[in-house]
Amino acid sequence: MTKKTTGLAAATVVALAAVPATTQAATIVGSGSSASTPYVEALYAAYKKVDKKNTFTFNANNGNAGAKDVQEGRSAFAIQTRPPQPSDSGLRYSKLFLDALTISVNPANKLDNLPVKSVKDIFTATQTEWSAFPESGLTSPIQPFGRVATAGLFTYFTSAVLEGAPTASSVTPVDKDGEVAVAVSKNPNAIGYVGLANSKPASGVKRLKLNGIEATPATIKNLKYPLSRYAWIVLPANSPNKAATKFADWVRSSYEAGVVLKKAGAVPAFNATKKSKKK
Amino acid sequence: MAHPSVDPLAADRGSNGDRRAERLLGALVAITVALVLAMIVFVLREGWPSFAHNGWSWFGGGGNVDRQTEAIFTSANFNRSWVYEFHAWPIIWGTLLVAGLAVAVSFVAALFVAVFVVEFAPDWMRFILEPVIRLLASIPSVIMGLLGVLLVVPFINDVLIDDEARRSVKYIVSLNGYSLLSGVFVLSLMVAPLMVAVFVDGLRSVPRNWLEGSLGLGINRWRTFWKIGVRTARPALVAGTVLATARALGEVVMLAMVCGGVGFAPNPKDGLIFFLEPTKPIAAAILQSAEELTSPPMRDTIFAMASILLLSSLALSLAGWAAKQPMKKYGVRA
Repeated sequence: MTKKTTGLAAATVVALAAVPATTQAATIVGSGSSASTPYVEALYAAYKKVDKKNTFTFNANNGNAGAKDVQEGRSAFAIQTRPPQPSDSGLRYSKLFLDALTISVNPANKLDNLPVKSVKDIFTATQTEWSAFPESGLTSPIQPFGRVATAGLFTYFTSAVLEGAPTASSVTPVDKDGEVAVAVSKNPNAIGYVGLANSKPASGVKRLKLNGIEATPATIKNLKYPLSRYAWIVLPANSPNKAATKFADWVRSSYEAGVVLKKAGAVPAFNATKKSKKK
Repeated sequence: MAHPSVDPLAADRGSNGDRRAERLLGALVAITVALVLAMIVFVLREGWPSFAHNGWSWFGGGGNVDRQTEAIFTSANFNRSWVYEFHAWPIIWGTLLVAGLAVAVSFVAALFVAVFVVEFAPDWMRFILEPVIRLLASIPSVIMGLLGVLLVVPFINDVLIDDEARRSVKYIVSLNGYSLLSGVFVLSLMVAPLMVAVFVDGLRSVPRNWLEGSLGLGINRWRTFWKIGVRTARPALVAGTVLATARALGEVVMLAMVCGGVGFAPNPKDGLIFFLEPTKPIAAAILQSAEELTSPPMRDTIFAMASILLLSSLALSLAGWAAKQPMKKYGVRA
């Protein structure tokens, strides 16, 4: 290489290195709950108008794995569907909005209410026949679908419904929240736990009432629905990414995010109910 | 002469260039070999703690492999002592079954298809068949997985499984279509085209005069092709089978989607239900636990599983090479 080209190459390298420093645009990586993916995608789309500089991406690798990502610095934030646990050292959990875990069955199943206790019986293989639930109109064996152990919903379901009991081996574990919905929609004998967004009527599954209470925005907001729960944003306790923090605040409190969440099927918990006046 | 003659110096420079290119290519080959060796060493070393803790029982059965995975994963969470107990038999068995059955089924199918394409199909049909087969071979596995989940799994569940079968194993596993059968079926669809492509090339390279000699002796077309063509092409058959088996062993996404994801070893003693039982091949098990890499004992276990896959691919290539040796004498190269 001649001196001239060397100089040119060096200049290019310096220039390239300087670009991020001057514009400060960054890609903010979030990861975690696959059940919350539909909300996160809707929120990202709306947030583009607020933060025009940074790009947000989301890796739906399930809640527990997302929390680990934040612990190890791979993600700026995570969306988690269970409350903090002792393993979450170095993380700060904040409630974002309300969501619910639904127990869903195939539309061919006539059942419309189940006590939470029966759900536990089904997923621990104490109850294996639909004939034990005559309202279902089915006489076949129950085919339960659940999630793999990395899922925040798995952890939440295990503690909230199974009360810590191990899931029966007859429960078919699938990778993502949407896959449970697909499996249940294709199988008349199936039952599964699905996040609120993926159990909308269009997804081909039927939500059950639990202890006689339907999962509606009202019953979720006043926590009457037995499996209402918060979706959490997980940030590092020390020096969290500013853009991610800003995003979290926007999701939690802005009126716009509340509208987006409602449309996507979640229940806003802390969002302003009126549009704030522009300053 | 009007046009300039070849400059001897330039020719010399060219050969210098050749030598340089040779050395460069040699270095690239050496780097590739070194990379492969380094990879094998790295994977084995990372997986070693898992083997060391379990000894030979790593390969055995015992307990529920999914619970063991969970215990290993969570043992790093609460500052407890790390758990390593892992008995991989169900997933090893699952891998052998899915890959073995799929390759066996596709071998038979692919052989007949290849013979048909090369020898019996009319030109217009060959013209359509060959590109279609090549296209089939390149369908991404996630698409096959989706087709499996949306079509094959519900079909098996609705048509092939009755409530009686479901009841007979209901406390152990759910028979819901996510099964060995769906895995084998979809995997066969994926590896058979690959086999057909290699087989066709092998059968085509059989010298025409050998076949014509046989036909000249009054032996019919089918028998000629079977006894001379297919026999001569045996090295190509082995090569195709090795390639297909390697693909079957390494197939991940589709199998994770349709096999049921339960670390259960389907039991041949269960009769026909055997094919309808769920299982989890090693590659799918690695995919499903990849999110758990952050837990050190789980990481070791995942690498141990990976080293089994890696070594079996290695063994497979060697076995393929060894199988081809005695066939080379009268065979075509493949």
